[in-house]
Amino acid sequence: MQHTLLAVSAPPFWHCGRTIWKSNMTFLLALLPAVVMAGINWGIPALRVMALSVSTAVAAEALGTRLTGRPLRVDNFDAALIGLLFSFMLPSAAPWWLVMFGSAICILIGKIAFGGLGASPLCPPVVGWAALFISWPLLMDPNTAELSTSFIDPLVRLKYFGMTAVQDMNWTDLLLGRQIGGLGASQTAALLMGGLFLCARGVIRWEIPCNFLIGVAATAAAFHLARPELYASPLFHLLTGTTLFGAFFLATCMSCSPNREIPMILYGLAGGVLVVLIRNLGMYADGVPFAILLINLLMPQLEMIRPKPFGGR
Amino acid sequence: MTVRFQIMRDPRFHLLHQVTQRFSDGPESEEYRLARAGFVLEDTLRKKSEVYPGMLLAAHPEPDMGNLYCPVRGVVSEINERYIVIAAKPPQMDDPVMPTVDLSALEGQELLNGLKNMGVDTRFLSQNKELLIVNALNPEPGITWAEPMLATHVRNLRSGLALLQRICRAKRVVIALPEGMNVAYEGMEVVHIVPEYPNSLDPLVVRAVTKKENPPDVGIVGIHTLWGLGRVVVTGMPLTETVVTLGSRNHTGNYLIKNGTRVCDLIAHANIRANKGDTVVVGGPLRGQSISLLARGLDRNTTGLFIVEADTIPPLDGDVQCCNCGACSLVCPARLSPEMLSRYAEFARYDKCVKEHIDACMECGLCGYVCLARRPVLQYIRLAKHKLALDKRAIR
Repeated sequence: MQHTLLAVSAPPFWHCGRTIWKSNMTFLLALLPAVVMAGINWGIPALRVMALSVSTAVAAEALGTRLTGRPLRVDNFDAALIGLLFSFMLPSAAPWWLVMFGSAICILIGKIAFGGLGASPLCPPVVGWAALFISWPLLMDPNTAELSTSFIDPLVRLKYFGMTAVQDMNWTDLLLGRQIGGLGASQTAALLMGGLFLCARGVIRWEIPCNFLIGVAATAAAFHLARPELYASPLFHLLTGTTLFGAFFLATCMSCSPNREIPMILYGLAGGVLVVLIRNLGMYADGVPFAILLINLLMPQLEMIRPKPFGGR
Repeated sequence: MTVRFQIMRDPRFHLLHQVTQRFSDGPESEEYRLARAGFVLEDTLRKKSEVYPGMLLAAHPEPDMGNLYCPVRGVVSEINERYIVIAAKPPQMDDPVMPTVDLSALEGQELLNGLKNMGVDTRFLSQNKELLIVNALNPEPGITWAEPMLATHVRNLRSGLALLQRICRAKRVVIALPEGMNVAYEGMEVVHIVPEYPNSLDPLVVRAVTKKENPPDVGIVGIHTLWGLGRVVVTGMPLTETVVTLGSRNHTGNYLIKNGTRVCDLIAHANIRANKGDTVVVGGPLRGQSISLLARGLDRNTTGLFIVEADTIPPLDGDVQCCNCGACSLVCPARLSPEMLSRYAEFARYDKCVKEHIDACMECGLCGYVCLARRPVLQYIRLAKHKLALDKRAIR
């Protein structure tokens, strides 16, 4: 027994059991209802986009780690998760080259170029989305891309036809994802379920989505109270476009969101406020991805709000 | 700081175990290994020298570190660069008996010297403080000796405290007990602490008692140290024993072992097996040190020995990069950013570690415990502290 071969390692020798692999698997599990709902609402084309995006992302990760000479770690499902999150913001009618190009940009520019997992300053799926949205606005706008559907795009209606056009919105339709939007991002009820699951599991911190949604609701309420004939109600803003998806799945991106309590609260609130400002006063119908890019940039400044160390003056 | 239970919901972090069983005796083994690093061997000590319990084997050159004494009757079978190895043998009728020492007449520096000659380290004892706090909590998760020690070793602890009072000269002595434990130490002020790790760390106990962070003129001592002091007073013999908790997945127990007891003897004594690929930890499971050889001897500062079976925790995955999840900065009781500290240490920017207040770190090990990426965060911080200490010494 004296000569048993022991494993030598560094303290601590107990661990909470949470790993990157587990956290990403929980994320994918939380996205599953939305994947199913996307399949029901948009059919095979949506599944095609998601599958293509995920596989391109994994391949791009393999290529990128090869180019930068880093160990290949696609087995932690991070690339797959980024690919899936990215595909959620695409219209289901997106052409194959658009999906592949965007997904590769998410990984190569959003993640690998900055040093891989945990180093991206901007949420990788939104980076890919922004690149495509600026380059091919017609193909990326779900309202112009989805021609063979009976759904409507509530945000476009509000923007171009005014409050009267969205007066009689069917809330059930909005919740069940029967609206034009990103193929997964518009599956409101499914995303809400998944997001709450992630909060309960502690994979994402509730402060960020909660304050993001508070920011959206409060700003929308202020606008709505001031000019009810011009601006939509808070509930409308919460249930349309990418709001819930952004709050739970994009704004909480590990490497680009702050860690401590007060910065998390401010970060969430700022995001929510920006969403409604862009929607109500800006030129874009759905402000969520841009709002998230902006608060990502704000993160280093917010992180400077930190407590003094133990015993510090 | 409120503990974020969405990160830590580990029942093992509760520090009150309701253990009442007295300490079991350690093994009577055939061989003892005493680490000799830092000690100067006695001139007369040779291979095959006869040694007796309480005999001086090696002196420590520092005035405030205790000397090394022999725990058993035996023969020196080997002296190598790491150990003095003693083969035990049964006591004989004509063995010399070491005289007992009475410390009660000594004061000040003489008392400290007297303790050094009893094998006690005095460097970490609080001297000349206003307030003395006795930290009576189990220091780390997994360790369970505090409760039985408080309940059954009262005389030992009281003598140790009386001795420490003479060194510390505190005007006020407070004993910090875990909440939910009912022992009456008459004539002593008691403060109850919520028994959840990391509340048992010395700086946090001081804060719980004084409501201040790092106040001056406050000394704190753990009951393991106090027990050692008391043992010396009660027996009048040099300290050659220690109390350890032995823990594995299915076993936990407290043992009173002789210094130099080999790890393999202790775990065989408790009917535990260490299998290939397991990790054996000396110290607590969060802050301890893993060893490579089961034949290693346990020294007088050992507080625990843990077998962590293979596959019970995700393995360390090489030099994996930080994923920035922020769990470590949320659990850090010193309100630091371990993710930044570990990164600076990784790239040898120790100057940056100082700017990130590395000296406030209490080395609780929670950062590594919650790390998603399985980075050795505590190890990086200890590396940086070590390098900074070396720099400081070089400048001096």
